Amino acid sequence: MEGIIVADGIVKRFGDLVAVDNVSLSIKKGEIFGFLGPNGAGKTTTIRMLTTMSRPDSGTVRISGKDVYGDYRSARQSIGVIQQLNSLEKDITVRENIKHHALMKGIPSKEIKGRTEEMTEVMGLGDHLDKLVRNLSGGWKKRASIVCSIIHRPRILFMDEPTAGLDTQSRNALWKLIRKLNASGTTIFMTTHYISEAEALCDRVGIVNKGKLVALGTKEDLKKTVGRFAVESVDAAGDTEVRYFENRTDAKGYSDGIDDGRSVTIRAVSLEDVFLELTGRRI
Amino acid sequence: MAGFLREVYGIAYADLAFLKRNIVTTLISSLVSPILYLIAFGYGMRAGDTEAGVSYIAYVVPGIVAISSMTAGFSSTAQKILIQRLFHSSFDEMVLSSVRISSIVVGKSVIGMVRGLMGTSIMLAIGCLLTPELILSAPLILSVVFCCFTFALLGVMAGLLVDSTPTLNMVTSLVILPMTFMCGTLFSIDSLPDFAGKILWALPLTHSSQLIRSFALGHGLEWVSLLVLSIYAAAFFAIDHYIIRNQKY
Repeated sequence: MEGIIVADGIVKRFGDLVAVDNVSLSIKKGEIFGFLGPNGAGKTTTIRMLTTMSRPDSGTVRISGKDVYGDYRSARQSIGVIQQLNSLEKDITVRENIKHHALMKGIPSKEIKGRTEEMTEVMGLGDHLDKLVRNLSGGWKKRASIVCSIIHRPRILFMDEPTAGLDTQSRNALWKLIRKLNASGTTIFMTTHYISEAEALCDRVGIVNKGKLVALGTKEDLKKTVGRFAVESVDAAGDTEVRYFENRTDAKGYSDGIDDGRSVTIRAVSLEDVFLELTGRRI
Repeated sequence: MAGFLREVYGIAYADLAFLKRNIVTTLISSLVSPILYLIAFGYGMRAGDTEAGVSYIAYVVPGIVAISSMTAGFSSTAQKILIQRLFHSSFDEMVLSSVRISSIVVGKSVIGMVRGLMGTSIMLAIGCLLTPELILSAPLILSVVFCCFTFALLGVMAGLLVDSTPTLNMVTSLVILPMTFMCGTLFSIDSLPDFAGKILWALPLTHSSQLIRSFALGHGLEWVSLLVLSIYAAAFFAIDHYIIRNQKY
């Protein structure tokens, strides 16, 4: 069965730079998909093409089976997008921003008030509804932005670095909300450069580096390509060496053999290790 | 049609909400320059009758109204879009909503029309108090609305294409400012050398000025000016639509 979001060989160039290089993806209905990579890897460019904001130089994007550039209005009706930079109108209130988005998304006037109350209650925004956006903290702006993006109850929610710049409390609240939205049936496509975020939230992960999709699969499958246990040793100069093993016994045996004064840690393999093995560098 | 108007309102809502919150400061700033024009050109520089057979006040007030419709229509729209594109990233939200592109173009022009009408309606009222030669009428108001709309469409184009505030200021200095003084607003283009008159005749403010002045002085509809202005409005609309549709901003 075709995925709810399908990108087929999408390419985006900016002059000589190939920002996204022949990326193909198929996102399943109802999953949380993480698009993981370092800054500048092409994550935002990819999400802009998937959400109709930027046309690929080649390749196609389909949402629910329809080409997004052939039927962009239909595609836009079914998606919500939370951009990396806060995209609210700063000089009007949260309530006015929500109404602005609701009107643009074709929600009948008589439903706007009810939906605003429902969504702001979920997000705990009630006390901030009549404040100017520019007077809110980053966490509250992000919450307001989410309400605006989901006021039309989209089936698919794209989130570009949703927790970038947020404090721990706001980040935890947002993770909780993402899980809640997903539990209610919303498919979520999120970009992140935080390993912990991908580990905590995502069902499947695509790893992108220098515009290319270098790995795609469930977290467990991706980790299995490296091993199950990592032995990390750090020498006096701070240089780190990592070796991977299929079982703890082998990992322990290897670590016991290190007797040159390096500090040694045995830990479970993470997505960071997968990225390191694939690209030779850390995120 | 109802769906289109609803989309236009949705796009314009944020700009109108901001305007409502800042109505007093906006109104004051909208009135300063037209009143200064009126004082400087209406009283300070000229007196007596013009070649057109009306007093200079009756001649210059419609010209100042045309200037106000252009500057308010252009600047408020262009600045708003520039800020929403470059600093607030909120222009993408409009594109991402499922509204028609034509609704975005018209919706973004609404603030220019409203700002233009705020300044020009008060100017017209002052003009009617100053001289009985000016006639306030529905066609006059409609022509002012149309002029504001045309220049707001030009403002949408500028807001989409320029990439910084200094660039927008440069466009204003090179395009808007020369039209302000040269396009038959404060003096007739007939008094200029023939070649200059022909160039100025082709510019939109010349026709805004003629259209508004003709109604204001009770001379009826200037068909040619309406036609030329309509061509400009259609061209600006088509270019705005193309820029957004093909993401050329």
